[in-house]
Amino acid sequence: MRIRAALAVTALAATTALTACSGDTSPLASATAMPQQNAVTAAPPAERPPAPACNPRASLRPAGALPTPGDMPAGSYMATIQKRGRLVLGTSQDTLLFSSRNPFTGQIEGFDVDMGRQIAEAIFGDATKIQIKVIGYDKRVSSAADGSVDIVADTMTANCDRWRDVNFSSIYYEAGQKVLVSKTSTAKSIDDLGGKKVCSAAGSTSFENIGKRPTKPIAVAKPAFGDCLVAFQRNEVDGISTDDTILAGMAAQDPYAKVIGQKFTDEPYAIAMSKAHPEFARFVNAVLERNRADGTWKKTYERWLGDFGTAPAPPTAQYDK
Amino acid sequence: MTTALAARPAPTTVRKAGLVRRVSGLRHTSPGRLQLLIALLVGFGLLSGLLAGVAGASARAGTSDLGNRAQPLLVEAETIYSALADADTTAAQAFLAGGLEPTALTRRYDADLERATTALTSAARRTPEDGRAAEAVRNLSAGVAQYSALVATARANNRQGLPIGASYLSEASRLNRDTLQPQARELFEGAQDEVEDGYSSAGALGWVALLLLSLVVLLITLIVTQRYLSRRTQRTFNVPLLAATGLTLVFTVGAIGILAVQQARLDRAANQGSGPMASIAQSRLLTLQARGDEALTLAARAGSGPYELDFSSVEARLNQRGGPMVNEYDQLDYQLGRTMDRASKQFQQYATIHDDVRALDDSGQYDKAVALAIGPETTKVFEDLRGDLDSALENRKEFFTAEIDRAGSGLGLLTVLGPLLAVAICVFAFAGLRARLEEYR
Repeated sequence: MRIRAALAVTALAATTALTACSGDTSPLASATAMPQQNAVTAAPPAERPPAPACNPRASLRPAGALPTPGDMPAGSYMATIQKRGRLVLGTSQDTLLFSSRNPFTGQIEGFDVDMGRQIAEAIFGDATKIQIKVIGYDKRVSSAADGSVDIVADTMTANCDRWRDVNFSSIYYEAGQKVLVSKTSTAKSIDDLGGKKVCSAAGSTSFENIGKRPTKPIAVAKPAFGDCLVAFQRNEVDGISTDDTILAGMAAQDPYAKVIGQKFTDEPYAIAMSKAHPEFARFVNAVLERNRADGTWKKTYERWLGDFGTAPAPPTAQYDK
Repeated sequence: MTTALAARPAPTTVRKAGLVRRVSGLRHTSPGRLQLLIALLVGFGLLSGLLAGVAGASARAGTSDLGNRAQPLLVEAETIYSALADADTTAAQAFLAGGLEPTALTRRYDADLERATTALTSAARRTPEDGRAAEAVRNLSAGVAQYSALVATARANNRQGLPIGASYLSEASRLNRDTLQPQARELFEGAQDEVEDGYSSAGALGWVALLLLSLVVLLITLIVTQRYLSRRTQRTFNVPLLAATGLTLVFTVGAIGILAVQQARLDRAANQGSGPMASIAQSRLLTLQARGDEALTLAARAGSGPYELDFSSVEARLNQRGGPMVNEYDQLDYQLGRTMDRASKQFQQYATIHDDVRALDDSGQYDKAVALAIGPETTKVFEDLRGDLDSALENRKEFFTAEIDRAGSGLGLLTVLGPLLAVAICVFAFAGLRARLEEYR
C-alpha cells in the first residue's frame, strides 16, 4: 500500500509537471528553429512615442586605422571579445543566401554570416572564432541591446525607432520590400492582394509594412521566414512579403513561386550592437570601410548574390556621430 | 392459497389489503406460520442464488473489462505518447546530424510512427464511442497523418539541399509537441480514469454486499425456523433443514472466500501492477522528454533556453527519492528493483554527459556539442536506459495480467454454483417444512 500511494502521488506530480512544461516554454520562445511557438496573427506593437526624425543610414565615424588583429586596444570592447576567444553573432538559420543552415553540412552560412566572420577576422585574425547564436526576428533589437550577442547581422533594417535602443553600423546592403506569390497568381504587386493573407516574420519591419498598404492585405506573422514559406506551400497564406533578397532565396527553393512588383520600401541593412560600446561600433565601421575599399564586399556579394547579376557598388557609408 | 388469491379478481388496493390481512392472519395458526416460513426460506434462498449469479457475472465482466480493455488501453495510450515523443526527438536528432539522415535514426522514426499508429488503431477499438478518450483518438489519428506528411516533406526538401526542410521539420515538431502530445496525454489520463473505474466495477461491491446480506438473512431464518420447530415438536433436529443450513454455510463461506480472493488479487494488481506501471511509464516519458529537450535546444541553436530549463526540472523529478524512477521497486520484485536501480544510474550518467554537451555549446563549441549529443557513447547510454525501462514496464505488465487472470478464475464458479446451491437449499428447506405441514392435514 505504502509504495502504491507514493507512486500514485509522484505520477500525478509528474503529469502536472508535463502540463506545466509545455505551457511554460511558449512565451519564452527566443529560439527560432524549433520553438513551441504558434503562429500569431499580429505582434503587439510596443506602445511608445514615434522616434524623432533621423538619418538611419548615418552611423559612428571610424576612429583612425584598424588595430592589428589579435592586439585589441586595452579597455575596449574588442579586447573583451578577444579575451573571451570568440565573437558572438546573432542571426537566423532559415534565410537562404543571408544566413541559413546548409542542409548538407549543418553549418550556418550566407552574406550576413560572412559579415560576422569578417569582423571576427579583424579581431582575431581568424574568421572561425565566431559563435553563431540563432535569435528570433522579434529578439534582434533586445539581443543586441542587452549584450547577449556581440553583433546582430540578420537582414536587419536600420531605422530611427531601433536607433534609440541599439547602435547600427554603416549600411552594408540596400534591400527593399517586395512580395512573393504563386506562379499562377495574376497579381502584379502587393496592392493587388487586398484582403488576401500575406505572411511575414513577427518583429520584422516587413510585417508592419504589409498592414500599411492602402488595399489592406491581411498580415500573418510567423516566427521566422522559413515558416512563412511552409505556410505558403501549404496554402495557408496567399503570399509572402519581405525584402527582395530574402524572397529571392525563397523563390530559389520553390519553382512555383515568383517575386512580383517594384520595391515599395527601402530597407538598408546594418549590423546592430549594444549602445554601451560606441568604440566597438566605430571599429565595425572601420572594418566595413576597409572591406568596401579592398573588394571584400564585392567578393561576398558575388559569392551569395551573384546569381542576381553583377555586384553593384557597395552602399556609401554615412557618418554623423 | 395461491388459487384462492388468483380467484379473486378484485381491484389492486383491495387485493393488497386482502393479501396483507391474509398473510398477517397466517401467523396466528401453526400451519400458517409454517407456510410463512416456507415462503421466507424459499424467497431468500432464490434471492441469494440470483444475487450470487448477478454478483459473480458482474464482477467477472468488470474484471475481464479491466484486464482486456481498460488496462491494455492504458498501455496503448502510453505507447502512443512515448512513440510520438520519441519520433519528435529522433527527427530533431536526424536534423542535427546534418546531411542525409543517418539510417538508424530514419528506421527508429519509422518504427515510432508504426508503433503509434498500430496502438492508435487498437485504442480506437477499446474506447467507447463518446467521451474524452474517443475524442483524443480521433484527433490523434488525423494529427499523426498530418505529422508524418510534414516530416516526409521535410525529408524530401532536405535531400534536395533546400533549407526549407528545416522549417518543415520545426512545423512538424510544433504540431507534435503542441497538439499531438497533449492529445496523447489526454488519452493517457482518460485511460487512467477507466482503469480506476475498472477496479471499482470489477469489485461489484453493491451486488456483493446484497448477496452477503441475503445469505445472512437466509441463515438467520433457517436457525430461527429450526429453533421454532424443535420447540414445537419432539424432534430436536430436522434433517433436511440441517442440510439446508449446512449448504447455506458452505455457500456463504465459499462466496466470501471467492470474493475475498478476487479482491485481494485486484488489490495486488492495482498496488503492485497498475500503480508501479504508471510510474515506470512516467519515467520513460520523462527520459524521452529530457532527450528531446536536449536535441531541440541544440537544433534551435540559441544557447540554453526554455528547453534546457525543462530538462533541469525533468532531471530533478527523475532523481527525486520516492519519485517515478527512484522508488522502492525492489519491495515489489527483486528483479524489478535491480532494473530500475540500473535505469536510475544510467540516467545519472546520461545527465552528466548532457552537462558536458551544454558546457560545450555554451562555450561556443556547437559542433562538438552536437557530436557528443548524438554520438555513439551518449546514444548507447540512453538506449540502455530505455531498454531497462521497457523491461521494467514489461515486468509489471506480466504481473498485472497474471493477477487479473487469477482474480477472474473463481468468479465463474460463483456464477454457476451459487444459483445451483440456492436451488438445493430451497429444495431442502421446502422438504423439511413440508413434512411438518403435512402433519396438520
